[in-house]
Amino acid sequence: MPDRQVELLPAMPVLGPLFARALLPRIGRAPARVPTATAVVVGIQPDPDRLADYDRVCGFTLRDQVPPTWLHVLTFPLHLHLLGGPDSTIRLAGAVHVSNRMRLHRPVGGTEVLDAAVHIENLRPHRRGAQLDVVSELRVGEELVWDGVSTYLAPGAAVDGTPPNSGRTPFEPVHPIATWRLPPDLGRDYRRVSGDPNPIHTSRLTARAFGFARPIVHGMWTHARLLAALEPRLPEAYEIEATFARPVLLPGKVGAWWHEDAGVWTAAVTTPDGARPYLLATVRP
Amino acid sequence: MALAHSPSVHTPVIVGGNRTPFAKAGGAYASASNSDLLTAAINGLVARFGLAGRRLDEVAAGAVLKHSRDFNLTREAVLGSALAPTTPAVDLQQACGTGLEAVIYIANKIALGQAEVGVGGGVDSASDAPITVSETLRRALLKANRARTLQQRLQAFSHVRPGHLAPVAPQVVEPRTGLSMGEHQAATTAAWGITREAQDKLAAASHHNLAAAWASGFFDDLVTPYLGVTQDTILRPDTSLEKLAALKPVFGDTMTAGNSTALTDGAAVVLLAEQGWAEANGLPALARVVDAQVAAVDHTGGDDLLLAPAHAVARLLARQGMGLEDFEVYELHEAFASTVLATLAAWESPEFCRDKLGLDAPLGPIDMDRLNVTGSSLAAGHPFAATGGRIVATLAKLLHERGTGARGLVSICAAGGQGVVAILEAV
Repeated sequence: MPDRQVELLPAMPVLGPLFARALLPRIGRAPARVPTATAVVVGIQPDPDRLADYDRVCGFTLRDQVPPTWLHVLTFPLHLHLLGGPDSTIRLAGAVHVSNRMRLHRPVGGTEVLDAAVHIENLRPHRRGAQLDVVSELRVGEELVWDGVSTYLAPGAAVDGTPPNSGRTPFEPVHPIATWRLPPDLGRDYRRVSGDPNPIHTSRLTARAFGFARPIVHGMWTHARLLAALEPRLPEAYEIEATFARPVLLPGKVGAWWHEDAGVWTAAVTTPDGARPYLLATVRP
Repeated sequence: MALAHSPSVHTPVIVGGNRTPFAKAGGAYASASNSDLLTAAINGLVARFGLAGRRLDEVAAGAVLKHSRDFNLTREAVLGSALAPTTPAVDLQQACGTGLEAVIYIANKIALGQAEVGVGGGVDSASDAPITVSETLRRALLKANRARTLQQRLQAFSHVRPGHLAPVAPQVVEPRTGLSMGEHQAATTAAWGITREAQDKLAAASHHNLAAAWASGFFDDLVTPYLGVTQDTILRPDTSLEKLAALKPVFGDTMTAGNSTALTDGAAVVLLAEQGWAEANGLPALARVVDAQVAAVDHTGGDDLLLAPAHAVARLLARQGMGLEDFEVYELHEAFASTVLATLAAWESPEFCRDKLGLDAPLGPIDMDRLNVTGSSLAAGHPFAATGGRIVATLAKLLHERGTGARGLVSICAAGGQGVVAILEAV
């Protein structure tokens, strides 16, 4: 990693105003730019009530150790901060979260105080615009306990170069093990616990404004819900990779499927019949 | 000391136990459900004895305050734990006797050769208690659900008044008397002439004994911290007779918040195994489960609600040919300080032992220095169904420390005028 300038923030930014800024459009075909600094917040204090609420909304058992997807939630305000800044031509509001990879290096306790560092790298051309990686790290003191890479697609953004051939992830239909009914207010519930105020998740009217017939659930909820189903069987430390294939409309019904082979889990959230995927995931030690 | 009679071919032993620290209701575990708490207790047990991924023969547990969605509470907790998902589970419920009854259930299966290893225990969250709707509203909702027309649906609600819309919280009230447990016990306290001073003394001893046990590290291999709580939060190491004497009575003239148990959240589980199985699997054996007895009194006919254990112990001793003096340690659950004191008074009363227990002579006094030596429910708190698991694991460890053959008596009173008691013996 090149040496990056550090932007030390006094506290985790509040998402509402950040999001309003992130909604402001950036027009033009000028080459896309993203911030080069690393945004850092030290001393993130535990929030046991919000964590318990998060666990309930996503289907996790309330344990001493937090789910790695919760750690993503903790770093998310810095994604918005970087992509809402003046030196970013890409706005998170219009971007699509296409995939996510995170590694839990060791169990992280719900009462641990964490330091977060987030930067953006690998801005690259894509046939629909540009892709970039938001890289997040959480430390306890010097020790790296969790890191994550969120890959976003910014439709229409221009980056020099030839887009690589990015075919769809192959998917063989599955027989779902579980059926989950997603209530209409799930987007509002997840907004409360994640702080992600994106209006496409919360009401039919606002979702329509962004081209969706109904609100769609946060991809990171679907990710977390699938992880919650596997969590009791997973080792203490692991990596989970998720690809978001298509949005899940609310209210809705989805299928879920998982399979373990030699310690590696393959899992998917699908249409109720298992024919088409919403989310594909792999967990490895 | 001769080994007590045991009818079984297989010997069920207590391998060890695990519980969450107990926390005052509405405190650190306010967001945790019964399922969360029970899963935490099971996972701590799994970690302590290296059971991750293992299939046990059965897990038995229960809760007194239970949501209808938790019909398979224990099985769901097992599925959320690190145990093999092929471990079966059963929900049991006998009010505050639940935890001990679950231990007896597993011990009996082991004794009969139906199981080699299992877990018994329980959980309760007074914080996450099920709130329901009034009976009128509930019936109206069910009727509306069955209705086929809008008119029928509206008709269903015709008897519902604003007052019926208020949520209904569970209460510790005896359905047939309408009296709370505290009110019942207040009558018992008065009838047996149990003084305020004696109750406060027992309460102070409970706190001091529990504090000393924590300070000595006694609970290090019996408790796993949960949600940042490392020690029972109701415990007041610095309480004193003076402080307890300053509290106002809440039930009758002598029962205060200091000598009555507080509403508590927590979970406790006990690992049991057949003795040979434990040995073959490199697991310790602290004490064997010798025998157990359940009894009930007729509180609707005027019996003292919480004195059923006095009857159960009499029957258990008669069957085992033992006397009340044959125990190194007594664990009498402190629902109220006066429950313990009234039970002891009953065993010493020639009239009670003759008229109620059918004995020629009283069962006699016990050595008070052997009673609740590491504290009990007044200090630790009392998450109803978790208390049995807490006491059994504690007692098994205490007996093991005293050496092979040391015997202990567990006695737990329960709502509905019931009592569950058991004898453990160090192996």
